Amino acid sequence: MFLGQTLRAKHFERDALPHLPAVYRTARQLVGVESADDLVQETFLRAWKYFETFDPTTNCRAWLFRILRNVWIGRWRKSRMELPLVDTGGEQIEPYYDWEGEFLREELSADVERALAELPPDYRLAILLADVEDCTYEEIARIMECPIGTVMSRLNRGRRMLAKLIRAHGDAKPSSNQPREFVRRKP
Amino acid sequence: MMDCKNLREVLDLYVDGELSPEATVQAEAHLAECQACRRAADRLQGLRHAVKTAVSQYQPAPQLASRVRKSTVSPWHRRPAWALAVATAALLIVAFAVSAAQLRGAVANTLEAAAFHLDDSRSVVMEGLLLCRDCQLKKEYGYHAMCPLKGHHGTLQAKDGKIWNILDGDASEDLIHNSALLGRTVRIHGRCFRRASSIEVDSYEVL
Repeated sequence: MFLGQTLRAKHFERDALPHLPAVYRTARQLVGVESADDLVQETFLRAWKYFETFDPTTNCRAWLFRILRNVWIGRWRKSRMELPLVDTGGEQIEPYYDWEGEFLREELSADVERALAELPPDYRLAILLADVEDCTYEEIARIMECPIGTVMSRLNRGRRMLAKLIRAHGDAKPSSNQPREFVRRKP
Repeated sequence: MMDCKNLREVLDLYVDGELSPEATVQAEAHLAECQACRRAADRLQGLRHAVKTAVSQYQPAPQLASRVRKSTVSPWHRRPAWALAVATAALLIVAFAVSAAQLRGAVANTLEAAAFHLDDSRSVVMEGLLLCRDCQLKKEYGYHAMCPLKGHHGTLQAKDGKIWNILDGDASEDLIHNSALLGRTVRIHGRCFRRASSIEVDSYEVL
């Protein structure tokens, strides 16, 4: 029994624990910095509990993301803070989106984060899995328990919504190039 | 050949590397010729990178990694219930043994203190084994005995195990310094000074 436990711990350490940073950064975008640690802890506790059900020939990271999503949804159901996106079916890809404006990575981090937080949760998760974690559509479909077509439409609509939100935040900021003459000086 | 409409429909799949090899070749052929679509692809790629950069900057605190480890693979957490029970029982036994020794010591000290007050020096007849005091202390407590250099020092071990010093005197000379008597049982007539664990010898007999 001890040997079995030791081996299980060894495999968990080898297969699951290295994905802690990926699970954390995703959790942080889902629930915010205050609750991210708890969500990660709960995810790994559940993963440890059901580790026997994990097939070592498959991708452990995708398995952990799936648990993360389930824990997150379970929490939402308890707290009823945020409605997850309900798939209505027949979501169409928007082909002629006008991709104008540059996305400068370094300057936009704060705007991107703010815009991500405003996306419907399932759009946000699909984008995080594809763009940050480089998951394939098939993996995302398994993690989010939906058809690949739904993944495609979530990414398509989510990215366009995200771009609009980033631009809206950027436009709302005062430009640093504004002339300073309008500043009233004391006589 | 892909046109703009076809390409825009698969733009996300193209930047995500999800297009088939044939479709990728067609998409790239169109992008090579169409500046507007190329700009769209670049900007979608830019958004992808911007998201990655914004999100990847955060790392879990070392305390979180340690908490997760403790609650999963840490040995204490994953011990089966019976092992924990055995460990708890062992801990209780050790605790009891320690406290029993302390208890025994406390009782002995209390009795000794009571004896101090109740029992003044008095005449006694005491039987016991004559042993070398320093050798006995060496045997029991690891005391650095000087017997090989200075000779043995006789002492009386009573039947209850207590060791009594034999006070120097005319009658006690042999009991203290005659090594030939060591190991013999003797009966001492004299006076006992309990507080000093000592006996003054009036006479003795080897039994």
